[in-house]
Amino acid sequence: MNLVAQTLADGLVLGGIYALAAVGFSLIFGVLHVINLSHGILVLMGAYIALIVSTELHVDPMMTIPLVMAVLFVFGYGYQRFLIQRAVDRASVNSMLLTFGVALMLQNVMIWVFSPDMKNITPSYAFKSFTLGPVTLDAVRMSALAASLVLLSCLAVFLKFSSLGRVIRATAQQTMAAQLCGVNVRHVYAMTFAVSAAFSGAAGIVIGIILPFSPNDEAGWTMNAFVVVVLGGVGSPAGALIGGLLLGIVNTLTAQYIGPSFPNVTMFLLLVLLLLVRPNGLLGNAFSASR
Amino acid sequence: MKKHPLLVALCIVAAAIVLAFGPMVLPPFYVRVGQIMLYSAGLGVAWAILGGFAGYASFGHAAFIGVGAFTAGLVESQFPTLAAPLLLLLGFAAGAASCAVVSLLIAYPILRLRGTFFAIAMLGVSHVCSEVTNNVDIFQGSLGLNFPQIAPAGMDPASFFYEVYLAGATIVLLIAWQIRRSRFGAGLLSIREDEDTARMLGVPTERYKRTAFVISAVLTGMMGVIYAHSLGYITTESVYRDDTNLNLIVYSLLGGMGTLFGPVIGAGLLVFVTQVILARLLDFHLFATGLLLVLLILVAPGGLSGLLKRRKTAA
Repeated sequence: MNLVAQTLADGLVLGGIYALAAVGFSLIFGVLHVINLSHGILVLMGAYIALIVSTELHVDPMMTIPLVMAVLFVFGYGYQRFLIQRAVDRASVNSMLLTFGVALMLQNVMIWVFSPDMKNITPSYAFKSFTLGPVTLDAVRMSALAASLVLLSCLAVFLKFSSLGRVIRATAQQTMAAQLCGVNVRHVYAMTFAVSAAFSGAAGIVIGIILPFSPNDEAGWTMNAFVVVVLGGVGSPAGALIGGLLLGIVNTLTAQYIGPSFPNVTMFLLLVLLLLVRPNGLLGNAFSASR
Repeated sequence: MKKHPLLVALCIVAAAIVLAFGPMVLPPFYVRVGQIMLYSAGLGVAWAILGGFAGYASFGHAAFIGVGAFTAGLVESQFPTLAAPLLLLLGFAAGAASCAVVSLLIAYPILRLRGTFFAIAMLGVSHVCSEVTNNVDIFQGSLGLNFPQIAPAGMDPASFFYEVYLAGATIVLLIAWQIRRSRFGAGLLSIREDEDTARMLGVPTERYKRTAFVISAVLTGMMGVIYAHSLGYITTESVYRDDTNLNLIVYSLLGGMGTLFGPVIGAGLLVFVTQVILARLLDFHLFATGLLLVLLILVAPGGLSGLLKRRKTAA
């Protein structure tokens, strides 16, 4: 019983982080209909910037979140405006391959700059933990989960109430109608990409605190984001949260009870099962763009 | 100008006969490069039967290379006394059968997805196959699998496999050509153009997609069987490769998506660039491939044949 509770708790913590790591991917797909295969790169960029800044300036990694988000916001805006926009109206596979090409280039650059070795960010409270009933939770994971939930809520509020958020949602629903109402769609696309990149970078910090990372991990994080989005539904923080939690629980349960090398297999079977019974994702409409 | 249907086939066979003399005149390094080109061309055409004709771009065809290669190796190891040609035939049969079974099993759920969703789901298939092969002991994926030497005595193995690859690529190309000019091929093209309209007009889209998927998988698996034999020893990493997954798309993208010879031209060009021109710059490989991909999509989204066509219409 203890083991089950512990596994579920670990799964929920991991799931919260998966949700944050996927929300940027989800937003870009929902608004631009672009599968961003360089998503994992954005996540890792956040992690590396946080690693450098926190070790150089001796600050807590969580304190680097605003800086990382600002850097990635600018990067994301430029990346969308100068590269992706050129392929966004063509066949969807083209924009996907474009982002893949960028991912390959940046991965290679990261290997040159940071070496292919595993790195991790170690905050001062790395080895503290506390117990809650039968469950042990370590401080690092809890702070990572808290940061994820806060950031996800911020994004949800931003999309729901701010004027830019409203414009982004309008563009996602009916691009043409939004354009007719005077929305500058290119600007909205770039802003969406910038916001998504900023949140991906923030996710990178959270990931860097709890797991080791290397430039070769980027594809794994992109795949994770894709699965989370298909499970939960596209374009909303709530969908990402549901999908992320589900994926986290399934991953930890599989690793605990079937074998540590099988999470990807069960993840994929779950994906296929969901496509068979509920092709729209648990919330929302994951496949409107592909139909 | 209407081309005579047999003309294309004759050209393919004639080109194959000319290429068959390659190993006699080429230095050993270029025989090796030729092998990779023919292997890539065969794979590219097999991929294009589904990805080019029907427009279902798969991002995970390395799954079938791996399934074919590992099944062939496991079955062949049960018959150590068989003569080499029979052994290769047995390997082909086993590889083709396993790919057919696997592709049939996943065809129903996975072909419900379209566009990028299909592409990424196939990437998932490839990763899952690779993980299962690596972790389930009977497949010996992490340990590695030995293949018997099948080149006849007295013949240089490199030249021998060059000829086998050539035969394989030619057969794949002839099959693709036959599909392209059949009613089935026209149906696949209509799926690429507009699947819902095609279905409305009475094209059995589900059956056509499934058939194209299985044919593409089986041919890919058979190229994988040759590849495994030419390596002599395979592990999970040597057959389930993500760069193969990507390159298969790039070949068609480079040569011209949906054309018969596009993947052949694309494969030849890309292999030449990466193996000959960039051979000394291994650290630079990933970057160069990425840059090529980005430039290709920005400058020539229709591939080389698209560029030519644009020139023609402009002139």
